[in-house]
Amino acid sequence: MTDRHDGSSIDLEKELVRYMVEHRISRRYLLERIALVGGAAALAPIIAACTSSGGSASAAPSSAAPSVAASVAPPSASPSPTAQPSPEGALNILNWTDYLADDVIKSFEDQFSVKVTQSFFSTTDEMYQKIGEDGGDYDISFPISVDVPNMVERGVIAKLDKSMLPNIVNLGQEWANPGYDPNNTYTVPYMWWTTGVGYDPKRIKEEPTSSKALWDARWKQHISMLDDWQEVFGLTLIQQGHSANSTNTAEMDQALALLEQQKPLVRTYSTDTIGTMTSGDVWIGHIWGADRFAIQETIPDFAYYIPEEGGVKGSDTVATFTGSPHPVAAQLFINHLLDAHNSAANTNLIYYMGPNAAAKEFIDPAILSDPTINPDQEIVDKLEELLRLDQSVRDEYLSRWQQLRG
Amino acid sequence: MARERNRWLSAYALIVYAFLFAPIVVLIIFSFNKARRGLVWQGFTLDWYPKLFSNGELLDALTVTLEVALVAVIVSTVIGSLLGLGLARLRFRGRGATETLLLVPMLTPEIVMGLSLLLFFLQLFDAHGSLAQLWIAHITFCVSYVAVVVRARAANMDPRLEEAARDLGASAWGAFVHVTLPLILPAVIAGGLLAFSLSFDDYVVTTFNSGVGSSTLPLYIYGKIKFGVTPEINAISTIIVAVTAIAILIAWRAGAFDSGPRRPVADEAAT
Amino acid sequence: MGAAVQPAEASAASTPVADAPGRIARLRAAALVLPGVGWLVLFFIVPLLLIFVVSLGSRDALDRITLANPSLDNYAKAFDPVFIPTFLNSIRFATITTILSLAIGYPIAYWISRYGGRHKVLLIILVMLPFWTSYLIRTYSWIILLRDNGVVNSLLQAFGLTSEPIILMNTDLSVILGMTYGFLPFAILPLFVSIDRLDPNLIAAGRDLYASGRDAFLHVTLPLTMPGIVAAALLTFIPALGDFVTPDLLGGPGTTTIAKNIQELFLAGRDWPYGAALGFVLMIVTLTGTLVALRTLRREVAGGD
Repeated sequence: MTDRHDGSSIDLEKELVRYMVEHRISRRYLLERIALVGGAAALAPIIAACTSSGGSASAAPSSAAPSVAASVAPPSASPSPTAQPSPEGALNILNWTDYLADDVIKSFEDQFSVKVTQSFFSTTDEMYQKIGEDGGDYDISFPISVDVPNMVERGVIAKLDKSMLPNIVNLGQEWANPGYDPNNTYTVPYMWWTTGVGYDPKRIKEEPTSSKALWDARWKQHISMLDDWQEVFGLTLIQQGHSANSTNTAEMDQALALLEQQKPLVRTYSTDTIGTMTSGDVWIGHIWGADRFAIQETIPDFAYYIPEEGGVKGSDTVATFTGSPHPVAAQLFINHLLDAHNSAANTNLIYYMGPNAAAKEFIDPAILSDPTINPDQEIVDKLEELLRLDQSVRDEYLSRWQQLRG
Repeated sequence: MARERNRWLSAYALIVYAFLFAPIVVLIIFSFNKARRGLVWQGFTLDWYPKLFSNGELLDALTVTLEVALVAVIVSTVIGSLLGLGLARLRFRGRGATETLLLVPMLTPEIVMGLSLLLFFLQLFDAHGSLAQLWIAHITFCVSYVAVVVRARAANMDPRLEEAARDLGASAWGAFVHVTLPLILPAVIAGGLLAFSLSFDDYVVTTFNSGVGSSTLPLYIYGKIKFGVTPEINAISTIIVAVTAIAILIAWRAGAFDSGPRRPVADEAAT
Repeated sequence: MGAAVQPAEASAASTPVADAPGRIARLRAAALVLPGVGWLVLFFIVPLLLIFVVSLGSRDALDRITLANPSLDNYAKAFDPVFIPTFLNSIRFATITTILSLAIGYPIAYWISRYGGRHKVLLIILVMLPFWTSYLIRTYSWIILLRDNGVVNSLLQAFGLTSEPIILMNTDLSVILGMTYGFLPFAILPLFVSIDRLDPNLIAAGRDLYASGRDAFLHVTLPLTMPGIVAAALLTFIPALGDFVTPDLLGGPGTTTIAKNIQELFLAGRDWPYGAALGFVLMIVTLTGTLVALRTLRREVAGGD
C-alpha cells in the first residue's frame, strides 16, 4: 500500500503551507471557504488528505483563523468534522467487480475501523433489482444518473447530509448542480463516460470520423454493436440527425430500418466490449470511451473517436439508500470517495474520468491528456445524455429492438 | 470381435474426452498469460497465482460458492433421490401430477425462478438475500435433476426385491439400505455430481438471492466482464481442477472407486 | 434372472386378498415422495404463484409493479409474432443439442460401462471435472479456440484445408457447439446409469438371438436403456430451451433466443408483468410438448418409463 502516517509528530504549519502550495490554494481562498462553510468543513479535506492513501499532506493549522483552532483535533484524530456520529463499523457496497481501487477501500477501513464488504453485479438493471425499494442490505451503490430522479421519487435513495461531505468542494463546477439531482441533494457524481466508436488501426487502415463507419460493408462480419437498446438507437438516431431521446415513433422506425440494414454486417451485439474487441474477430465496434484504454493493453494503438454527428455521454453516481443499515459509514465513505487522491486512484484503475476537479493532479497524465477519455469541455457540452424515458416510449423502443434482434 | 469393437470405441472415447477437456487446456494455458485483460497471449507469467491468494474477495467468493454447493448437493440429492425412487417404483394417485411438478422447475426460465424467489423472500420474510436463501434456491433447482436421474435407474429395478428382503426378515429400513440403496447408488451419485455442477456455476438465480457477504464465484467473475476479466479467474479455475484431480487420484489409489463384482449381489440372489 | 420379469406384477400389492399391503405401499410412496414434493411446493410453486400474480398486473408511472387493474393483457401481448423467430431459435438449438448430446453421449456412456471396469466411477467423474471451472472462462476458451485467428482456424490453415479463416464464432455452429458441450454431461450421466444397470447376460442372449450385433443392440440394448435415454433427453432438452447465456455469448445477431427476450423484458425493459407472462407462455408450451412426447414415447416403448 502507500505511506502511512502514524499520526505522531508532524509539523502542522509546514504541512498546511505545503498542501496549499501543491493545490494552489491561496490563503485568501482558504479563509473565504472557512467563512463560507465553516472551519472544520473547509479544513477537513486537508486533514483527510493527510491520513488517507496519499499521505502527502497533513494539517492542523496553528496560524489559521482563530475560530478554527479550537475545532482542530490533534493529527491522529478522525478527519471528519467534529460533532459527528461515529461510523457503525461495517459498510456494504454493491458494485461491479474492480470498480473501486483496493487502496481506497483499505484506507477507509483503516481510518474508520469499518469492515467493508463488497457484493457484485454484472449489469445495471440487475443492480436495481437487488437494491429494490429501500436498498436491500446495501449501504452504497452506483446508480446511473438518469435513473436517480425515479429512485428518489420512489423513496429508494436517501438524502445526503452535506455536513458530512466536506470533500464535495472538490467537484468540478460543472457537476455542482446536475440536472438529474439539483445541488447533489441525494447523490454525488462518481464517473462519467462517452460512447462512440473504437477500431483497430491495423485492420481499419483509415481514420473514420463518422458513426457510419459501423455500416461500412467492407468490414462485414467484423463489426460489433453494444447489446443495449438505448445506446444502439441513440447512436442511430443521432446519425440520422435526431435526438438520441426521440419520442417520435416515425423517427424510431427510421432508425430501425437503418439498423436492419446494418444487421447482416454485424458480428455480435455485446456489452463485453473488452473481450469482443481483443478477440480479433471484431475490427470496429460501438464501445464506451474508457474501454479503449483497457483494450490498449492488448492492442496498443487501438483508436477511439466520438462520431462527428454527435455522441452520447453518461455518468453514474454514488448513493446511499433509505433502508441502508449503516448510514453514517455510508456518508463517510461517500466523502472518502470525493477525496482528490481517492478519486484519482479510482480513475487510474478503471480509466473512467471522474467529476473531481481536485483529483486531476493525481490522475495518470496519459489518461488526463487523452482527448477520448477526457475531451474538452466544449465537446462534452455537445454530447447528448441518454435520459430515462417514459414507460410508453421505452416500450416503443423495446418492441423495435425485439424486432431487430429476432 | 469384442476387442476390435473395443478399439474403435476406445478411440472414440478418447476423442470425446479430448473434446471435453480442450477448453480446459486453453483455460490452464491462459492462466499464465501476462496480459491483464483481453484474450490474447502476451507472454508467460506465474504472477496470477500469488495474486489470487492475496485477493480476499475472490477467495471469499470461492468459499461461499463451496458452502452453497455442499449444502445444496447433500440436501437435493437426498430429497431428489427419494422423489425419484418413489415415482419409479410405486404407483400412487397423483403420480402424474408429481411427475409434472418435477419437470416444471427445469423448464422455468432462470430469471423467472430467480426473481420469483427474490419476491417470495422479500414479501414473506422481508429478506434481502443471504447464504440461507441461496441454499434454498439452489436446492430447489437441483432436486428435479437428481430425481430424474434416480428415477431412470430405479425404473429398471424390480420392486419385489425389497419385498423379498423383508420376507427374509429384514426391517423396512434395512431392506432399503441393503437392497434398494446399493442398486440406485450410482444414480444418486450421478445426480449429486450434476447438482454440484449446476450449483457451482449458477448465475441468474444466485444473483437475485445473494446478499451481503454471500457473493459467489460466478457473481464475482461476471462482475468483472465490464472492466475486463483477468487471468486470476483462469488461475483459480486451474487450481480447482488440479485440487479435484489430485483428490480423485488419491481416492482412486486408495481403492475408493473399485466397484467389485459387476452385478450387485441382490441380482445374483434373485436369479 | 427370473426377477427381471413383468414389472406390472408389482402392483400385486393391490390384490383383493388383502388391501393392507396396498395401503402400506401407498403410504410408503407418500413417505418417499413427500419431502421432495413438499419442498418444491413451498419453495418453487408458491414463488411461482407470486410471479403469476405479477404477470396479471402492470407497472405504475414510477415503474413499480401494481395490481390495480389485474388482467390477462400481458398474455395477449406475449403472443406477439415478434417472438416467433426467437422461439424457433430456442427450439432449434435445444433440439439439435439434445440429439447431438444423446448421439455423442450414448457411445461413451456405453464404453465407460462396458470397458471401464474398476475405473468406471473415475471415468464418470472425469466427465464432470471440466464443469467445475467457471462457465465464463470455459466460454472464453471456446472463443479462443473458435475465433478467426484461433486454434481451430490456425490448424485448418496449417494443414492446408483452408486458405483463409472461416468464420466460426458468433454463428449457429458456435452456439450449438457450446450448448452441446455444456449439456453433454447431463446426457452422459443418466445414460451411463441406465446402461450400467444392464445385465450382461441379456446382452449376450441378445447377440445369440440376433444375427448382427447391430440388431442385438437395436432390439435388446436400446429398448432396455430407454429410461436412461428419456432421462438424458429431458435433462438436455428442457434446460437447453431456457438457456440464453450460451447463445448470447457465443452467438451472433441471428441466434437470439426467447429466453433472452424474457430476460430483457424483466431487466432492460423493467417490465416484470410482461416478462412473467411471456415466461409462463413459454413454460406452458414446453410443458405441454414434453408431456405429449413422453406419453407417446411410453405408449410405444413397452415397459419403458
